[in-house]
Amino acid sequence: MKRNDIILIAVLLVVSIGLLIGVNIYRKNNTSGSAKVEVTVDGKVYGTYPLDEDRQERIELADGSYNILKISDGKASVIEASCPDKICVNTADIHYTDETIVCLPNKVVVKIVNGEENDVDGMTR
Amino acid sequence: MLLQGTPCFYLVVLIGEYMSKGKVLGVILIILLIVFIVFTRKGLFGKGDVAEEQNRYTATFIDIFDTRTEIVGYAPTEDEFSKKATALREELINYNNLYDIYNDYEGVNNIKTINDNAGVQPVVVDEKIIDLLKFSKEMYAATDGRVNIAMGSVLSIWHRYREAGVDDPENAKLPPIEDLKAAAEHTDIENLIIDETAKTVYLQDPEMSLDVGSTAKGYAAQKTMEFARAQGYSNMLLSLGGNIAGIDGRIDGTPFRLGIQNPDMDSDVDYIKKVDIKDGQCVVSSGDYQRYYEVDGKRYCHIINPDTLFPSDTFAQVSIITDDSGMADAFSTALYNMTIEDGLEFVNTNDNIEAMWVYADGSIVYSDNFEQYLVD
Repeated sequence: MKRNDIILIAVLLVVSIGLLIGVNIYRKNNTSGSAKVEVTVDGKVYGTYPLDEDRQERIELADGSYNILKISDGKASVIEASCPDKICVNTADIHYTDETIVCLPNKVVVKIVNGEENDVDGMTR
Repeated sequence: MLLQGTPCFYLVVLIGEYMSKGKVLGVILIILLIVFIVFTRKGLFGKGDVAEEQNRYTATFIDIFDTRTEIVGYAPTEDEFSKKATALREELINYNNLYDIYNDYEGVNNIKTINDNAGVQPVVVDEKIIDLLKFSKEMYAATDGRVNIAMGSVLSIWHRYREAGVDDPENAKLPPIEDLKAAAEHTDIENLIIDETAKTVYLQDPEMSLDVGSTAKGYAAQKTMEFARAQGYSNMLLSLGGNIAGIDGRIDGTPFRLGIQNPDMDSDVDYIKKVDIKDGQCVVSSGDYQRYYEVDGKRYCHIINPDTLFPSDTFAQVSIITDDSGMADAFSTALYNMTIEDGLEFVNTNDNIEAMWVYADGSIVYSDNFEQYLVD
């Protein structure tokens, strides 16, 4: 085997391994690395918050009604709300992609984006 | 040719200086092959010359049947998925408006219009209303009267007391039984007159009213899934407030997996069981945990037993697996109002229905073949 062949093989290896690593980093940054909580009010995006930062956010509506979103330990929940039925507060906390907490009276939807994949596709209520 | 300074650039220089043309071609081919394999495996080409990648999307709507609607599907782009989801939403909104018992819509005769004209005159309605009412009558017969859409007079009393009780829990009250009994005098489904030739509906008893809560949502879900199939949509899941039906399964060929809501809402466990469903099947649960109010510490849910005129409290939840969403909705309501013995007999003597009963203490009873759907 010639010296140049070895160089060639080495370069090929470096190029392909480099590509693999690059693509993996790209994929990671575009999926689980950036799980977010998206809040919409009447279909319009109200705010987006990282799932990995603990916080409380008061979602204020124009008519004075509100929902309080809590993000802690990588999970999102609604801990307080002005709605009469409190179904949003009673809904279990969420962290899987596309899981939602809905407050029908306030038209608030809290949804996980780019999170961990759930093993179920839907649930009865 | 390629970016200066990258490994590829040096490689080209290297090849040019030391190798023959044949070798150069071979090496370039190898590099292209490696690049191709790496990118296709990682799906960077997405759409285009390689096989189209199907991404999974979920759409959530909150303006249909006073509940949440979720549509899960697959498409190469979000735009393509949105088109399908929007088409289904439009179907559902049409059903929502027609089957509404609380609101008027301009230029639409709906169930509320029928109720408003009870004892006054027949109302000309859309075919979709006639179909729902005929279906509801079938469900009345199939469930021995346990699903009765002519119970509006009784249900509206409970609705009023429940709303008041939720708004002001301190002063929550139960409706007086005399009021309920008086209202129950006006729940004869034979007084619902459907004229299919004239396309009219008439309530003969001026004090009766229709409440299609136990059939409308499921029936609309079923019809919407049939619409989706007619459009050629595949691999879809529609959840109308927890009444879930599927077309095909997941895009990878595995079945859709559904969680059955744990009726114990205080528990950390979201799903009491998980089931895998086949193409065309649907799952629905009825329970005391979503719409209810409390009086003196006791929970009163929205499912009213026609025999006692009070909410049933035998079970925390009943879930149904069957192949028709409309029937699933009606049967889960009916089973919730039956004893376990009657319910088991009902399910085990009907084809294609399986059920799971959950008691308040968490204990579970299955129909003969329910367990074949369980996972874990």
